[in-house]
Amino acid sequence: MKDEREIVTVTIDGIEMQAPKGELLIRVAQDNGTFVPRFCWHERMKPVGMCRMCLVEVEGVRGMPPACTTTVTDGMVVNTKSETVKKAQDGVLEFLLINHPLDCPVCDRGGECPLQDQTLAFGPGESRYVEEKRHFEKPIPISELVLLDRERCIQCSRCTRFADEIAGDRLIDFGERGGEMQVITYPDDPFTSYFSGNTVQVCPVGALTAKPYRFRARPWDLSAVETSCQTCSVGCRGSLESSSNELVRLLGVDVEPVNHGWLCDKGRFGYEATHAEDRARNPMIRRDGSLVECSWPEALDAAAEGIKRSLDLHGPASIAMVGGSRGTNEDAYLWARLAKGVIGTDNVDAQIGDGLPAEVVLGLPGATIPDLDEAAAIILLGPDLKEELPVLYLRVRRACVDLGVPILDVSAVDHGLSKYASATIRHLPGEQASAAREISAALAPLIDGRSGPIVVVLGRSDVATSAEPTVAAAAIIREIPNTRFLVALRRGNVRGAIDLGLAPGFLPGRVTLDAGAERFVAAWGSAPAEVGLDTAGIFNAASEGRIGALILVGADIVNDFPDRRLVRAGVGGAGFVICINATVTEAAADADVFLPATVWGEKAGTTTNLEGRISRVGRKIAAVGNPMPDFRIASELALRLGTDFDLETVEEIQDEIARVAPAFAEVDAQLLKRARDGVVLPLALHRDELVLEPRRIPVIDFSWEPIKPEGPGEFEVVEFEVVEPVLEADASDEAAAEEESALPVDISNGAGLPDAQLFVWSAQHAAQPTPGRDNYALRLSAGRSLYDNGRTVASTPALRALIPAQTLRVNPSEISRVGVADGESVRVSTARGSLVLSLTGDANVPAGVAVMPFNIGETGVGDLVDVSLVVTDLRLETLR
Amino acid sequence: MARFSGFGVTFKQMFKPRITGFYPKEKREKPERFHGRHVLNRYEDGMEKCIGCELCAGVCPAKCIYVRGADNSPDSPVSPGERFGFVYEINYLRCIHCDMCVEACPTEAITETKLFEFSFANRADAIYTKEELLVDDEGRAKRQPWELWLGGEDDKTSAWMRATSSSGDADYEGRVNWSGELGFGVREPEQGQSL
Amino acid sequence: MAFTPENLLLANEIVARYPKTKSAILPLAHLAQDQDGYLTQDAMREIAGMIGVTPAEVLGTCSFYTMFKRDEVGRLVVSVCTNVTCLVMGGPEVLEHLEQRYASDKEVTIEEVECLAACGNAPAMQVNYEFHESLTPGSATEIIEAYKAGELTARGVSGGVAGGGQG
Repeated sequence: MKDEREIVTVTIDGIEMQAPKGELLIRVAQDNGTFVPRFCWHERMKPVGMCRMCLVEVEGVRGMPPACTTTVTDGMVVNTKSETVKKAQDGVLEFLLINHPLDCPVCDRGGECPLQDQTLAFGPGESRYVEEKRHFEKPIPISELVLLDRERCIQCSRCTRFADEIAGDRLIDFGERGGEMQVITYPDDPFTSYFSGNTVQVCPVGALTAKPYRFRARPWDLSAVETSCQTCSVGCRGSLESSSNELVRLLGVDVEPVNHGWLCDKGRFGYEATHAEDRARNPMIRRDGSLVECSWPEALDAAAEGIKRSLDLHGPASIAMVGGSRGTNEDAYLWARLAKGVIGTDNVDAQIGDGLPAEVVLGLPGATIPDLDEAAAIILLGPDLKEELPVLYLRVRRACVDLGVPILDVSAVDHGLSKYASATIRHLPGEQASAAREISAALAPLIDGRSGPIVVVLGRSDVATSAEPTVAAAAIIREIPNTRFLVALRRGNVRGAIDLGLAPGFLPGRVTLDAGAERFVAAWGSAPAEVGLDTAGIFNAASEGRIGALILVGADIVNDFPDRRLVRAGVGGAGFVICINATVTEAAADADVFLPATVWGEKAGTTTNLEGRISRVGRKIAAVGNPMPDFRIASELALRLGTDFDLETVEEIQDEIARVAPAFAEVDAQLLKRARDGVVLPLALHRDELVLEPRRIPVIDFSWEPIKPEGPGEFEVVEFEVVEPVLEADASDEAAAEEESALPVDISNGAGLPDAQLFVWSAQHAAQPTPGRDNYALRLSAGRSLYDNGRTVASTPALRALIPAQTLRVNPSEISRVGVADGESVRVSTARGSLVLSLTGDANVPAGVAVMPFNIGETGVGDLVDVSLVVTDLRLETLR
Repeated sequence: MARFSGFGVTFKQMFKPRITGFYPKEKREKPERFHGRHVLNRYEDGMEKCIGCELCAGVCPAKCIYVRGADNSPDSPVSPGERFGFVYEINYLRCIHCDMCVEACPTEAITETKLFEFSFANRADAIYTKEELLVDDEGRAKRQPWELWLGGEDDKTSAWMRATSSSGDADYEGRVNWSGELGFGVREPEQGQSL
Repeated sequence: MAFTPENLLLANEIVARYPKTKSAILPLAHLAQDQDGYLTQDAMREIAGMIGVTPAEVLGTCSFYTMFKRDEVGRLVVSVCTNVTCLVMGGPEVLEHLEQRYASDKEVTIEEVECLAACGNAPAMQVNYEFHESLTPGSATEIIEAYKAGELTARGVSGGVAGGGQG
């Protein structure tokens, strides 16, 4: 956001500095290299002045104002280091330490504790207090994940303010104010916020500690790497830390355009899944009907043989690849090159039937997360962000609550952001298109003269409804002027996978098969001509025996695909199944070859978030056993099929992507290494957002900073040349291209390859009418809950207990209509199957709709949905 | 005559007192602050002193200590408080016996003995785990099969800790600032520590 | 215990008085305490629901005020001062006597409080926030017995502000 405030001059400790008028004194001092000690003030929260640690002297002001609540004015003269200030700091610290226990050796914060560090730097050294300290019962759990040690609390209110201001879940508050003041939860109402882990990170002492990290390591035996979280597609930056080759925690790193330093609990604690007992350690092949461990060469030979056999007998269209949205961009690119360049099939889909067609994902004008802050309005037409993309929820909530951006909520049922919406359009699941037609009218009063783009958060709100209604709605909304879209897909690197060609009809770099044919034939030697099948199409074909070899890349396909019967039939019907995964999932158990893969934290590379922002992920630990990174598995398979990619390192793959994939022009290893907050594609539109200098850290010599600046030797500092890329072939570019084509083709430079036009979606979509609902049926809305049976949660001991119980939520009127009691089990039947489920009344669910989260429990939504239908209608009958 | 002068040396030495000792059957007294191998002490009630804080591992210049803490179960705590040393290992192929670990220890859990006569046939034996380091139920060092020491040599296990208590501050001369040990009770202060 | 239907009407009326519904926490808590004799957990949860805050916030607010009782108290809450003047004039003796006398009496709850601002006629105590001064252990007992017998009329345990009277 452009800062248009008046600039004033202030003098801090004798140094004159410029600052925008009204900026907080503590921030001005920090930005200019003067660190004022603080406990309660946090960059991302409103100042409260509770801890009194940042008292400074201001000339002409009586007493000592706290720097965190004082704003700068012109000509202000401030002293932060005088004797008086020193005495005040001594006093504050001595008071804080009166009741703070000195159990630092057993405290998780010990060694990286702001109270320790600041006592050492600013404190009196000795305490005059000899009486008994205040005592409370040692740690009490305030949730499944967070422990509270009230003795250590210094009452800075960072945690309670976080819960209230940032997360909007004020489940903790101060109670017993006075001498016994403490953080409280309501009895039987634990701190179940999805963001509770952040309170542990912001706590300036060890009062709040995280159960998964408790006593696991001390700060001095940790080593860290900066990385992007791949739990969902928001791509929060974090500092991944390990001790003795074991991941022990992830801390949020403050990145302005993405996560502001926050993480959700699933992302924060999900690293435990890396060390799950059931991780596959060795490749396996099927011998005498069962999977047995074997060597890598054996397994790779067998896999390549299976592909080759199908290729020889039935041609490339008989081979299909599903998945690949959990790996890095480099993995995705080589899977795409293996499938499309080596095997020659276009039956490739990274999305598992729960996303949107690639045309919509790639072809809509993109918004970035910071666009939310400056938007004229935000339209929510998609999943419950709180459940699926929690940190994006925080950003949308902030835009609305703090910055006053109005929200238009278009949804079937209430969700996490509904209460912040200025206007709401409710529709039956599947009726998104007709709801979209009402948007223009509803939007006008909200915008009311506000400038800025209209940001649409677009996605599949549930898996029981097909993508079709959302696509139709997108085509309608696209007509509203000045709209930009954040396509809210869920899996970690699904955007990167689609960008790099793991989608039917597309080649790497956001080009269609047609547009990119010439370029990729030149780069790869061949490219598929026919548009292939998507995941549902692949499983349909496989169940009819038309798929000779099925490659499943890193997906728990049986649980993640909305239609379980179709997957099982597809996997069973495929001639030869190769499964690449970290664990032996249900589908993998039926595979002919199983290849173990490394996961997040065990491999380096880049990932792309839902904005199209590419950022680096770091390798922190070595995998146990013999798993290989996906890109290596793809290379090995290609080698056995006769193509040597000749790509050994992640950087080499990044450079090839920059050379070959049109949308990735210029985004080479060097730029990726230097771009601090990542690179948003296409670079041509987002070049001015690049930040090439290292991250600024307020106090590098204090131990609590989650990341340290990288040393100067880490990367070569080269001035980044601003070169306009040749992306779209307009008249002047064509002339340039003609000139270049006269030169000999130089494969080391992408300019030597034939141009390929980036895909733009025409948004011409003939909306299919959604079938009507008869009065006796309920329409199913199956969104997701943050904690589900997915691998991250199911393999993380700390999170497993948080998976909610399965229940079908309906309007109370439906319960009485069926004639059962609240909570009673009923038989639920759809065109696909029937289940016995407990029924819960919920007045927030509109009549005619039934809500059940996907992928919870042994059986569930996956057994009720038929993906060939647009909507899922169900009937209830009593068991009596 | 030169040949007799050589015998002169012999005869002179014959009547001097003999200084060769019958090592290892007899051993010389070791200096008060001699650094031998470590022990992990226990309180007089048998509780372990180690709280698994890893300060010793953090300060060790040879990086030979590996510690992991864990939660004490409230019903059968291993040490007082929330946390105990769940894993404690010292690699004696690396240890330089500098005693920084002893100085760093906030609970006087780790101290050095005067025991130094041990050798190993393999590297794994050189890593002493909690099993080997923890004192027995009498508060004495556990004798390992490959260690050569006599009874009584294990009496002095904490001199360095006593010498360095309170950062060697002369005001603490002769004052006891440590807790009792299993089998030995509260040890006497070392004399002349500030000299 | 949740609000009775009559009190629920009153509660909604109280909420409607404030431009920010959150301001109604204290009057509603008084109402709940007058209804149930003390502030029950259910009541705090219901108050939170009525004004759109979390129960933790209601508890956080109410726990500041010692006059909100979060545990069950008797019909008569006797607050005996033991601060400086009362200490000198025999407040602790009154307190000790009353504590022993009414230890097993469910109807009377004795509590020790800080200065009641009645130093002129110390020692002092309050029975349901009604002042009684210049006490001896004997006279204090007599006063309480008079309340128990109905000779003196007690206010509510919230000090008679039921219905958010101060609003």
